[in-house]
Amino acid sequence: MNWRKVWIVARREYATNVRRVGFLIMTFIVPLIGAGVLIFGAFFSGQAEQLGNFLVDQVDPTQKLIGVVDHTGYFTPILPAYREQFLPFEEESQAETALIAEEISTVLIIGEDYLETGNVTVVTTGSSFGAAAVSDSSTVRAFMVDHLLNGRVEPAFRQRAAAPLEIQPRVISSEGETEGEGPWGFVFTFVIPYMLAIFLVMAIFSSSGYLLQSVAEEKESRVIEIIVSSIRPTELMAGKVIGLGALGLTQVIVWMLTAMGFSGGAVGLLAVVGVATIPARVFVLGVVYYLLGFTLYAVLMAGVGALGATMQESQQLAGIFSLLAAIPYMISGFLFANPNALIARVLSFFPLTAPTMMMLRLPLAEVPWVDVVGSIAVLVVSIPLALWGSARLFRVGLLIYGKRPSLKEIWAILKNPG
Amino acid sequence: MVIQVQDLVKRYGDFTAVDHLSFEVHSGEIFGLLGPNGAGKTTTIRVIMDILTPDAGSVTVLGHSAGESKSLVGYLPEERGLYRNLKVIDTLVYLAELKGTSHAVARERAEMLLARVQLDEWATCKVKDLSQGMQQRLQFIASIVHDPQLVFLDEPFQGLDPINVERVKALIAEIHREGKTIVLSSHRMNLVEVLCDRVLLVHRGKSVLYGPLEEIKRMYAPNIIRVRADRIPPDLPGVTKIESDDGAFNLRLAESTAPDGVLRALLDHDVDIRAFEVAPAPLEDIFLTVVGEEEVRDELA
Repeated sequence: MNWRKVWIVARREYATNVRRVGFLIMTFIVPLIGAGVLIFGAFFSGQAEQLGNFLVDQVDPTQKLIGVVDHTGYFTPILPAYREQFLPFEEESQAETALIAEEISTVLIIGEDYLETGNVTVVTTGSSFGAAAVSDSSTVRAFMVDHLLNGRVEPAFRQRAAAPLEIQPRVISSEGETEGEGPWGFVFTFVIPYMLAIFLVMAIFSSSGYLLQSVAEEKESRVIEIIVSSIRPTELMAGKVIGLGALGLTQVIVWMLTAMGFSGGAVGLLAVVGVATIPARVFVLGVVYYLLGFTLYAVLMAGVGALGATMQESQQLAGIFSLLAAIPYMISGFLFANPNALIARVLSFFPLTAPTMMMLRLPLAEVPWVDVVGSIAVLVVSIPLALWGSARLFRVGLLIYGKRPSLKEIWAILKNPG
Repeated sequence: MVIQVQDLVKRYGDFTAVDHLSFEVHSGEIFGLLGPNGAGKTTTIRVIMDILTPDAGSVTVLGHSAGESKSLVGYLPEERGLYRNLKVIDTLVYLAELKGTSHAVARERAEMLLARVQLDEWATCKVKDLSQGMQQRLQFIASIVHDPQLVFLDEPFQGLDPINVERVKALIAEIHREGKTIVLSSHRMNLVEVLCDRVLLVHRGKSVLYGPLEEIKRMYAPNIIRVRADRIPPDLPGVTKIESDDGAFNLRLAESTAPDGVLRALLDHDVDIRAFEVAPAPLEDIFLTVVGEEEVRDELA
């Protein structure tokens, strides 16, 4: 291996691609979005609740006047705190008339057997969406609880029974150290690391995508034959992987520094109470998985990129790898509930899904160390194997112009390269 | 000896592209590697350039194995192109650096060569901004920017208009005068034969004719003499056919007839002779004679 030539290729790949508009947008737009979110939060945190209430008002029918037909006597007369939102009716027909006249949005008919069954008939106009909204409405629940317990328990208990949970999250590590406290703690211990993981995965694909593009471009423009007359295909491939790996790493470092900056600066900026740091393991392992994942995918993309007759064909061929790597994304809804589920663990040991899966799992929970070590080992072993196969495809594929080799031909190349 | 190829074999599956080919290229000569399309010329060059691995045989280039001599060899491939979005000067410097030339020397040579082919004003433009003819000249100097001792030119006239053919011919003559050894590969034999000192004619991967061009031409002289005169008597002894051609006459001789006997007969008939020469056979005609005309007519077309 002539490392001087590898370096020349790496330098050119880096210098050419670092100026690409797509790369610059991707690198700097992410921190800008993050900064925007934090600044918005800092300046509007006081108004956020009001804004939220305003938005809820627009969609929640229970925010308008609600009619109540009470056959039990527990809910009338209506307590003063609820008189602006609830209107009593003697008869169901009166309430329905008011509903049709749009004087009220909903009618709650509380039957005589309410105490035994809990059944409440909800009458609305239009779709049944309104009835469903009533069951989730904190206002209606508070109305029911308050009236049921009025005069039977102390006001403080009555109030707590109406709103039993005001969640204050605090995240601790396995060593018992507090990593995040309060609502912003949740943002720093979960939201930002999770976003970072997603962006790291995107970095793997954008960098290895550049590699695919670079190989396909050289082949399509026919410059490749001059290049391989000067440098061995393995040296060319190594140069491209190093140059574009460094490019992706630049992107990752910009993102991480920005995230760390937000993490440190946010304490002052947002007056966050308590600790709020991004877990170090997400950073360190993030970089490790980025490097391993990128190298594996870049090597595969180089081999596949050399097979297509045109850029489009090469991208189609590479699609199979992207599809496999996207599997962890497809099950991410399930991962939220159980990041250490069997399927997640199995996919962490399969080389093509390991980097993506581990990056998505890391911010969600304490991943067992056996999974971390195992997935890294799988990747470390897979990379030389991929290199072996890709180098063979690369060497021969580069000189096949105008047609895409069949699967049979690809197999023949792997067995006996030119 | 600049190149020594011994018993070279290259197969693609069941197809044998190069079949036990042996030849040598001497220092400072223009060597023609000629033959119809698909004869195995490009495969032979790719093996010598270490782009392909041979199935059998050996290759020595400038005293080294094929892989070790890359930096000493220049290559203008048949399938050619350049980075369209790269600047002209950067393209040349990058290609020279890949051949082991230092950045400073690469830049100096690139500027000198650009001036030589009248592209110096375009140095900082992108390759895609150049016209087709300019790109072809740039491609040519890209193959010699690292100052190689040996240059392979594979189908150098492909896709060129007559003006650019002459330009490239002049460039080849120029680098030959500088002492570089040139291997010229082409299926257009008549176009390149005027440039070559020695040739190897290949057909279906095998050597058909090999040696100094003059010797081959002498060996396959077609027994035609070309006479420039006002008239040719119809009953000349030993002449089987007379054809008029652009103010001259081509006289086909019977096998045992010598040209000097015909000249004497013309003088005896008081023919006013302005020119008399033994007509050289075009290389392509010799090739067709050797391999059998019918067999290769399609391939040459």
